[in-house]
Amino acid sequence: MLIELKNVTKIYNQGQINEVTALKGIDLTIDDSSMTCLRGASGSGKSTLLAIIGCVFQPTTGRVSIAGKQLSRLPDRFLTLHRRQYIGFIFQTFNLLPALTVQDNITLPLVPLGIAPVEMRRRAAVLMDRFAIAHRRNFPASQISGGELQRVAIARALINNPPLILADEPTAHLDSRLSEEFMHFMKDLKTAGKTIIITSHDPLVTEHADVDRIVDIKDGRIDAA
Amino acid sequence: MNRRLTQHLNVLDYALSSLWRRRAKNLSVLVVFSWVIFLVASFQLVTQALTETAASVLRSTPEITVQKMSAGRQVEIPLDVSTRLAGIYGIQEIVPRVWGYYFDEVSGANYTVMGIAPGRMPLLDRLQLTLEEGGVYDQESHGKAVIGRSIRRTLEEKGSTLLSLFRPDLSQASFEVTGVFKPEVDILTNDLVVMNIEDARDLFAIPPAMATDLCVYVANPAEVPTIAKKIAEALPGTRVLTRSQINRTYQVVFGWRSGFASVCLLTALTAFVILAWDKASGLSPEEKREISILKILGWETADVLAVRFWEGILVSGIAFVLGCTLAYAHVVFFNASLFKPVLIGWSVIYPEFRLVPSFRLAQFLLVFSLSVLPYLAATVIPAWRSASVPADSALSGM
Amino acid sequence: MLLNSWSIALLLCGLIVLFLMGLAARSAIRVLLFWNPESDSNRQIRLENEIWLTSTLVEYALGIQIISLIVFVLAADFYSQSIAGAMCATGSLLANSFGVPALLVKIGGVFFYGFWIVLHHLDIHSEKYPLVRVKYIYLLFLIPLLVLDLALEILFITGLKPDIITSCCAVVFGDATGGGSNLLGGFTHGLSMGLFYGTAGALILLGVVLLERWQRWLGVLFSSGWLWFFLLALTVVTTEFSSYIYAMPFHKCPFCILQPEYHYIGFVIYFALFLGAFFGMSGAVVEPLRFVEGLEEGVTGYQRSAVKLSLLFLVFFVLVSSYHYWRYILIGGEG
Repeated sequence: MLIELKNVTKIYNQGQINEVTALKGIDLTIDDSSMTCLRGASGSGKSTLLAIIGCVFQPTTGRVSIAGKQLSRLPDRFLTLHRRQYIGFIFQTFNLLPALTVQDNITLPLVPLGIAPVEMRRRAAVLMDRFAIAHRRNFPASQISGGELQRVAIARALINNPPLILADEPTAHLDSRLSEEFMHFMKDLKTAGKTIIITSHDPLVTEHADVDRIVDIKDGRIDAA
Repeated sequence: MNRRLTQHLNVLDYALSSLWRRRAKNLSVLVVFSWVIFLVASFQLVTQALTETAASVLRSTPEITVQKMSAGRQVEIPLDVSTRLAGIYGIQEIVPRVWGYYFDEVSGANYTVMGIAPGRMPLLDRLQLTLEEGGVYDQESHGKAVIGRSIRRTLEEKGSTLLSLFRPDLSQASFEVTGVFKPEVDILTNDLVVMNIEDARDLFAIPPAMATDLCVYVANPAEVPTIAKKIAEALPGTRVLTRSQINRTYQVVFGWRSGFASVCLLTALTAFVILAWDKASGLSPEEKREISILKILGWETADVLAVRFWEGILVSGIAFVLGCTLAYAHVVFFNASLFKPVLIGWSVIYPEFRLVPSFRLAQFLLVFSLSVLPYLAATVIPAWRSASVPADSALSGM
Repeated sequence: MLLNSWSIALLLCGLIVLFLMGLAARSAIRVLLFWNPESDSNRQIRLENEIWLTSTLVEYALGIQIISLIVFVLAADFYSQSIAGAMCATGSLLANSFGVPALLVKIGGVFFYGFWIVLHHLDIHSEKYPLVRVKYIYLLFLIPLLVLDLALEILFITGLKPDIITSCCAVVFGDATGGGSNLLGGFTHGLSMGLFYGTAGALILLGVVLLERWQRWLGVLFSSGWLWFFLLALTVVTTEFSSYIYAMPFHKCPFCILQPEYHYIGFVIYFALFLGAFFGMSGAVVEPLRFVEGLEEGVTGYQRSAVKLSLLFLVFFVLVSSYHYWRYILIGGEG
């Protein structure tokens, strides 16, 4: 069991006029080396849940632990330290820096870790070979195709070798062929022992054979139905 | 290698590439900043050069100068007053001096003519050291002179080796040139003619046994104030100037002028700091996006702050080197031509001399603290604002 | 003498530090009033962000304070040109009763800001931020010191008048036989040299023992030893070593060694001494924090590196400061 959430709630702008309750008492456990899909309409709270699992911010109440580490009530700094050790993110819009080269984008998470540039390039080279983007190494991210962008984004999420991969609506901007390709990569990662959580309402994802579990989120609650 | 060092080098590398990516924006800051540093540094170098020159001038002046005053104006002083000073203990030597200005109608230039008996000066060897070529005329000979470089140039243009001057009755007095002063002392000697005291009296038609002023040399500098007081008591109707008095007047005037200009330059600096603040705090959507991406990828607030810090250091470091180099060139090769209007007082007194600023760490530290520190301070808050962009803005549903 | 570049630079530095620390104090008050680690409210998130702001502000303030300390000494040297009897910084600092206090407060400021940064780094090592309150109360106490610093500086500068007659280093630090009052008389040459090298040796020994195994009372002894050595070293550099650096037996001055004529050796000497003293003393200062939950590891780690660094700077300082002395003893005057 890698992730455990107990009675997690999240209220934005608490005590103010624009107060929003995004999550209402979530209990969830997620196993090692599994692929989970968080499914729900936009505004259902699935992105908030992903952000809490991804150590982006704290829940308002409740307990979160990842890999045995108690994470609720931690200052932002320690969430960050945990995030960069355990979690790789893949985003809907890829979130690459367009002016940086493919290689520099991939090594971005390693910069603040004090890893020598030679080592950073070595690790990036391995991943670029694996995802067939080595020929694009010195191209700015703004000049490569959508399929390549996606693979760069996956490579970046893997550069610090995290046990947990979080993907936020990864196929929303992809055509069906690239979505298939994406799920293929995720399957490989799962086989390699990674735990994967994807938020999506794309049937290509939710109905994919390798998804172990689908968690439906509705109005901030896990929809048991 | 040390992990923290590598971390800083990585961040520095990122800061460099980040500066380069936003080169248009940063270049404008860099240009304005270099200009401000250039102004501050130029001014500092000029005042420093002038202060040092004045100090070196003063080193060669006698400890005490005695002038006779009449109706508030300086008049000639009879030589026999020196006998009245003989009793004052501590005086090493009293040397009479005749000096004045000579307007050369041919070249349209003003010369300073100084007549001294070189043999009686305790610092004769120093005078010798200031000569570029030739030597000091010996005490007995008449019709010889040591001249400054600009006068020699005039002579060379005329193709003459003799310096011909006219007495008030328009009869001609000719002098053989025995030596020329070095360029380093141009500020003092550019237009100077030094000759035998009797020749000078003859040239200006000053009666014998009179001098323009008396130079009093004192062996022990600690006794100067006491001796000056005694002289003033012994010789009513005279003005007694000590070297340190003159020095302090110079200092206050120089210091005041440079301070006044610094205030003006501070205004320029303030304008720049406002610009820097404005540039640094205007966070474009792309920058905001970049930071939120970095943060969600595991960059700490402190890492982003480090990037901003290095960016500031790089910009101000480059601007500092650029500004100081330009300022040095401006002062040395262009004679601080931009500041001529402010320095008009000096340029009238000392026409056409070369400024030779000395490289002192203190000067650069001063310029640094007047320019780089305000810049860095102005960018702290904007840097922090940009570093505190939350990570969650990189997520889609947030 | 307010209207010259040096005074303006000094005041500018002072105002910048005051501005930065004022902002830090504003955050400090907010943190002290509203800090609640149990909450995930927007306010708590903002306060967590402001911790970075304050630490950056204090770090910048420390940097500027160090520069302003150097500028202060160099400015005093500059003023000496226009004060009767003053030939270097000593003369102008003694020209009125605010010079020396201003210098001491400035030096104190550097140490106190430094301690704050040590405190901050220990604090952010622990997930609970256990020192949040302590460090912000400490920060608020720094503000009066800062205001005092600036006030003394202004009083010193405005009190400098060209017609005041002051004594300079030759009189102040010279031998008692030379007439005039001697500030640091009383120590014979042999005694002060013995104390200097003896203390340095004892500190190195203690430091090595502490690196083997940290013991509280030895740590406290080490730090108080450093305080003693710091004061002793300042005295010895002034009265013993400086004249060998100047190669003039009667020239004894702590400031002239900062001049380019002596290859700025004073900067090296004082940087080594100040850094060594800072790390040496801070080892024991953080000792009480060992008992704060979650800090033990951080404190131990810091003490180890602090002792190591202080020994490094100590050795370096002793070598550089006594180089001219030993060269004179071994080789002789000229050459």
